[in-house]
Amino acid sequence: MSAGEAYSEEVRRLFREAPAAGRAAGAGWVAAEATEPLTGTRVRWHLRSEGGVITDARYQVRGCPHTVAAAALAAAALKGLPIGAAAIDFAAIAQRLRAPAAKRGRFFVIQDALHAALLLFDAPSA
Amino acid sequence: MAGSGEAIPRIYLDNAATTPLDPQVRAAMLAALDACAGNASAMHAPGRRARERIEAARADVAALIRAPADSIVFTSGATESDNLAILGGARGNRARGRHLVSLRTEHRAVLDACQALEREGFAVTLLVPGPDGLLDPAALAAALTPKTTLVSVMLVNNETGVVQDIAALAAVCRARGVLVHVDAAQAAGRVPIDVGALDVDLISLSAHKVHGPVGVGALYVRRTPRPTLEPLQYGGGQEGGLRSGSLAAHQIAGMGEAFRLATADGERESARLQGLAERLWTLLEGLGGVHLNGHRTRRAPHIVNVSFEGVDGEALLLELEGLIVASGAACSAESGEPSYVLRALGRPDALAQASLRFSLGRFSTAADVEAAATRVRAGLTRLRGLAPP
Repeated sequence: MSAGEAYSEEVRRLFREAPAAGRAAGAGWVAAEATEPLTGTRVRWHLRSEGGVITDARYQVRGCPHTVAAAALAAAALKGLPIGAAAIDFAAIAQRLRAPAAKRGRFFVIQDALHAALLLFDAPSA
Repeated sequence: MAGSGEAIPRIYLDNAATTPLDPQVRAAMLAALDACAGNASAMHAPGRRARERIEAARADVAALIRAPADSIVFTSGATESDNLAILGGARGNRARGRHLVSLRTEHRAVLDACQALEREGFAVTLLVPGPDGLLDPAALAAALTPKTTLVSVMLVNNETGVVQDIAALAAVCRARGVLVHVDAAQAAGRVPIDVGALDVDLISLSAHKVHGPVGVGALYVRRTPRPTLEPLQYGGGQEGGLRSGSLAAHQIAGMGEAFRLATADGERESARLQGLAERLWTLLEGLGGVHLNGHRTRRAPHIVNVSFEGVDGEALLLELEGLIVASGAACSAESGEPSYVLRALGRPDALAQASLRFSLGRFSTAADVEAAATRVRAGLTRLRGLAPP
């Protein structure tokens, strides 16, 4: 089958372009990762904050096209959010991307990695 | 087989799923549609013409597996053949015992038929092959009990291409008086099949895996000793009472022509496919972090199943848009589970999920193989670059 037929235009575009994908390091940056072994999905967030606000978000991802697209949307949504209120509505993202029900579990990997990264802002080393 | 008129040239390497209809097969089907207006069961002239076409096709199908023509029962495809063999064989011999043996790596047509029998009170043992996909005859012997009546093992695995040593496995069963069924849907036209040498009772065959039409298949049923099979459907008593229903002369004529072509050119074509498959594997292996699934040498010439480290299989499939291959990932996303066949071989979930099956056919070319490897290299590089280290 042609894999492309299973995805919306937006998923295909975000998967192809993967905006804000990549790693980052340096002052103000934290990074954390989550994994789901059954599908091998891995997500690593790189977040930077200034004055308690997220100013930049990058991600690295080994996952299906829906996961890549969801991470891209989450990265865009994170910028400008206060660290303490950096909640992403992954249910809305799933709906927007028309992700099948079986795929939505993979979005928890994005969420888990994000939570782990946000916690690092509170850690003394951050 | 690159097409035109699309932004991304398509390369079809999913011949294990289905093969493009051969033009000669199409011509034979059209001729049969024109010539065979009668019901093959009728005695009048149009009926006799239809029957003649069907019997000629029966002989062509039988010739590919070196069987007598009257051992061939036409069905709607390999799935029905598997069901007739397994359900019919088990039910027809239930007075002797209610135990069957098969493998975890079989096609769903076999596994689901076994599961249906379990609901009827039969016991089913599903053996796990070695990491190379091969079943040890000693393991089969150990699984047989005095109540075992049927063993079902496929000749060529549809995902990995691994070729079982059916003759050795059948010898184990023969010594115990156990019927042997072989799903040879992937084997026909790709590896030699000689029913005399294999010494098995039942063989499932499919037309559309051999450049024939979808919707027709066959079950080889040994003549002597004839295994007892309970039919799955009743009616006009066609096909020796094993498969009632008016025969579709044009479909059967297509299958006959497909098998005739495969017999005529089988050896040369297999050697050509093997050369292409070897080239493909060499190119893919050079990419690094790549694993061939299944035995290195005991494999059909047309299937190369590969797992890729560091990427998601479904993402790779989309990345390779235009390259038509099968994925170990559940692209339909109904289950989200990796390939059960590769998991049974002990592949970790992440690798089972990140696998692609490249399968070649009559219209595959060296250029297809080179282009496929080039696209995989580019896709793999981008996706590995996206992933965490």
